[in-house]
Amino acid sequence: MEEMKTIYQVEGKLCKDFIGQISYTVCLDQTYGELDIEFSFGPQHFRPEDVTPELKQRLLDYCKKEYGMEEGTPEEWEDAVYHGMKTEIHTMATLNDTFIGNIHRQLTTRHMHFTATEATEGCIPQSTIEGVLKVTILVFSVLLDNTNYLLTVRAR
Amino acid sequence: MYKRLELHNHTNESDAVFTCKELTDFMVADQVDAFALTDHNTISGHCKIKNYLKEHPQPIDFIPGMEYTTYYGHILCLNLTEYVPWENINRHKPELLFRAARKKGALVGVAHPYSFGWPFAQGCRFEMTITDYSCCDFIEIFNNPEPLHEVNEKGVKLWENLVLSGEKLAATCGMDLHGDSTLHGHYSTYIQGEPHGDVCQELSDAIHNQCTWVCKGPLLEVHNDGEALTFTIHQTGKPGYEPLTGDDYKITLRTKDRVITCNVSDRIPLASFAEHAIIIPMLFEKETIIENLVCTSPVMHL
Repeated sequence: MEEMKTIYQVEGKLCKDFIGQISYTVCLDQTYGELDIEFSFGPQHFRPEDVTPELKQRLLDYCKKEYGMEEGTPEEWEDAVYHGMKTEIHTMATLNDTFIGNIHRQLTTRHMHFTATEATEGCIPQSTIEGVLKVTILVFSVLLDNTNYLLTVRAR
Repeated sequence: MYKRLELHNHTNESDAVFTCKELTDFMVADQVDAFALTDHNTISGHCKIKNYLKEHPQPIDFIPGMEYTTYYGHILCLNLTEYVPWENINRHKPELLFRAARKKGALVGVAHPYSFGWPFAQGCRFEMTITDYSCCDFIEIFNNPEPLHEVNEKGVKLWENLVLSGEKLAATCGMDLHGDSTLHGHYSTYIQGEPHGDVCQELSDAIHNQCTWVCKGPLLEVHNDGEALTFTIHQTGKPGYEPLTGDDYKITLRTKDRVITCNVSDRIPLASFAEHAIIIPMLFEKETIIENLVCTSPVMHL
């Protein structure tokens, strides 16, 4: 079987606390039988050195104010907050303005794969892959500046 | 007849463990009458469940839906058969999305309004400003796995306050099922329907008429004979619920300016209420505290 052809590739950086989406529109040059959209990003979690006293205090103050949470032990906070917090990005695709899939699972590398009969969970099989593909990166939360991402669209 | 509905469920089409087939079998095993698929931001499971039920007929109905998982809150859509884009959500005008989904025939509601959001999970808490509640159909007052006081009690209060101020909002609940968790001991949504009725239409009628029960097992039925309110309890046989005797239940009738507490055998004269009063009936076990709440009944408009 022939190799999948890379139709589009882009990389970028996200800044801390960005919320919103970035869309990439790809005009497919021909009709394809198979499409793969790969997205990866990182880092997803704080490194130990990122959890500064200032950040800890900010989070403590926020959780007390918003959720009425009393101060837990440092270990509880470590588990519940610093380890639990994550850069969260979803990916969504449309073909000719029709929804064809969304990946909600928080994988740092994920694929949205389509053929006429099968598709990755969250996605819908496509009998005809042609026209205008739009891939949207939905950014819910970014923990750190310079969070890298890479998007690749392949087809055959 | 009463139909038990589970209105908030996920599969591996978004972030849960069950496949569509496994979720369907799980619901059948717990004697659910109908269930909704409300995966996060995808409708890819709808066809899989429909096809599975077509190929393997089972005594259960399917309600297509989706949980719009936005940056500022989760919006449950039921009877949603078509994806409606949400990416341009405006936290100050969520009505735009509510209306767009409704235009496609969906019922639209706020899911777990007081869940913990950032820094735990951006978007889980509903942080949007709804100015016009007329474009919203329901509030999920119990998201079963969430903490009672920190999250669900606040959801109940929000719904009560809105309803008593005249908003036509129904109450629903859900398991927010992401894995193999027991449904026993939790609230389910009940509606009235016909044995072979179209459950999507029945749900739509129930929601639009605020005629839903959010219930752990016993349904509180309130009857208006023109002079007084009387009560009966219908035990649904929901698995995991042990019925009490009638005397062990207490009822509250909440209106804008008072709460009447009574027994199931009591007769409450309509003269006890203001003209055009809106009443929220609730059923408790023994004590009228939220820990003992077993049923929230349809809103009454005198």
